[in-house]
Amino acid sequence: MEQEKLYQSLSDRLGKLSKFPRMKDDGKSIASLLEEHGFSRRDFMKWAASMTALLALPASFTPLMAQAAELTDRLPVIWLHMAECTGCSESLLRSDAPTIDSLIFDYISLEYHETLMAAAGWQAEETLESSIKKYKGRYVLMVEGGIPSGESSFYLTVGPKGQTGESHAKEAADNALAIFAIGTCSSFGGVQAAAPNPTNAQPLHKVTQKPVINVPGCPPSEKNIVGNVLQYILFGTLPALDAYNRPKWAYGKRIHDQCERRGHFDAGEFVQEFGDEGAKKGYCLYKVGCKGPYTFNNCSRERFNQHTSWPVQAGHGCIGCSEPDFWDKMGPFESPLADRLYHSVFRGLGADATADKIGATILTVTALGIAAHAAISVIKKPKE
Amino acid sequence: MGKFKDLFVKRHTEFSPFYRWHHWIRFFSIIFLIISGFYIAYPFLSPEVDPNPTGFLYAKGRTFHEIAGFIMISMFIGKMYYFFFVKSDRDEMRSFKDLFSVKKWMKQIGYYLLISKHPVLSGAYNVLQLVAYLALYLMLTFLIITGLILYMHVYHDSFLAFLNTPLTYLEVMFGGLASVREIHHVLTWGIIVFIIAHVYMSVFNAIYGKEGTIDSIVSGYKWEIPESEK
Repeated sequence: MEQEKLYQSLSDRLGKLSKFPRMKDDGKSIASLLEEHGFSRRDFMKWAASMTALLALPASFTPLMAQAAELTDRLPVIWLHMAECTGCSESLLRSDAPTIDSLIFDYISLEYHETLMAAAGWQAEETLESSIKKYKGRYVLMVEGGIPSGESSFYLTVGPKGQTGESHAKEAADNALAIFAIGTCSSFGGVQAAAPNPTNAQPLHKVTQKPVINVPGCPPSEKNIVGNVLQYILFGTLPALDAYNRPKWAYGKRIHDQCERRGHFDAGEFVQEFGDEGAKKGYCLYKVGCKGPYTFNNCSRERFNQHTSWPVQAGHGCIGCSEPDFWDKMGPFESPLADRLYHSVFRGLGADATADKIGATILTVTALGIAAHAAISVIKKPKE
Repeated sequence: MGKFKDLFVKRHTEFSPFYRWHHWIRFFSIIFLIISGFYIAYPFLSPEVDPNPTGFLYAKGRTFHEIAGFIMISMFIGKMYYFFFVKSDRDEMRSFKDLFSVKKWMKQIGYYLLISKHPVLSGAYNVLQLVAYLALYLMLTFLIITGLILYMHVYHDSFLAFLNTPLTYLEVMFGGLASVREIHHVLTWGIIVFIIAHVYMSVFNAIYGKEGTIDSIVSGYKWEIPESEK
């Protein structure tokens, strides 16, 4: 019953949405565009079924998903680059062949994307301004990269007008319908916000007052990026979120929970060093630094590059890239978390000190103190 | 008896049966938690590389760590109840009075430096002991909370589902699961140092203070020289 109700409400919503005009007037429907690029209807439906499963919806919702994908030309997306490496864009674009995801995204809904667009300079600035104006309150904003803010905002100066990235992001966010922070940098600050954070890079949610959905990962998989757009078209609401504002459908479970090497973890079968017998047999990578047990993401289920592979499958542990402050907290990346180094300020003393090393040192000092105290107390008589 | 003179000593009950039982159950659970905890942090035992199904050593290590953890928590709760609500245990509460006396502090430190007599206590514990125990309880509290947060992501139902909201709030406050895990590890070292110091102090007091108190945690009795015999 519940399922039928949900189906009906989503179906109604899509029906209403389809009455809106397309953003572009050249009249090409998504169906015809896909056909033009060599995707059969069958390919498209297969893709829609996998996206339905990704969002944890019942298989019977596949037609709705297909319909939602065909309606993406009603929802403009503005994509901003802040202080970043463009890895998130790469993740979305660099699949082995143009995929349905990237087709929908690049050709249809993206109104502004600095890496993809042909425009430059004044032209580009004009495109951004006019799309914000034209679609005011109706576009989805996706931001990639950390944002140098406050007095350090000049570290990111963009465009012919020499505006700071911060002011760009603020303005775009103020007029957006929904805001997604794509990647760890715009979600949590990422690598450039790692200690000592020289440019005072901040996550997007620190720069705007509006609710921001975080889609972290370095990079997030293309499915998690597109999935958020489709989810928004389908439901018209923001998804269920975890404590860090990450959509639960993607970040609800740990890497560890669905890892293909999990059986070896429980069996106590570990890779002792890279290239050993255990590594050849696909044993657990915990002892060579896998941070999967502390990382919430769906890599172990969705993988990357059209489900081809992912770090753990390739033989290196997870580095926890979708967690807040991962650069500071998850290192060293190739040994367990217990080996974390505490950088002391005592002229570099104990720069290689782990918790166990510090603990053992304190314990030794305690033992020495006890021995000395015991020895003296044998000689010295108690006061009566 | 050579240079020892015969004394009439008074026997009085130092520790109640509950107190002794909880102490030892807690002791063994903590020892097991430390060993299994270090194993979880860095699995130093691994079965031979073998294509056959193994004994699931690591999973068992974790299971027993969790069981020992819950035993430790139940002892913690029991002792809390005993401390706050059991009338015959008011002696522990009375120790707090001495915390505000500079003289008691000076004398206590002097006693451990072997230069002055042991001060007369208002309650069960001396000031240094009391502060050490407070630190222990603080560490245990955080170990329990961080432990439950780690467990919450392994077991999602019933009790842990009930605690999910407050624990998630704390998880974010600690700075994510990785930080929680780290705090759990660092505090364990605090407990280890506490145990070593605690055992030494007990032995030292039993011998140097001539009270034989090391037995009391097993037998419950303490031996005292009455004023008339001094």
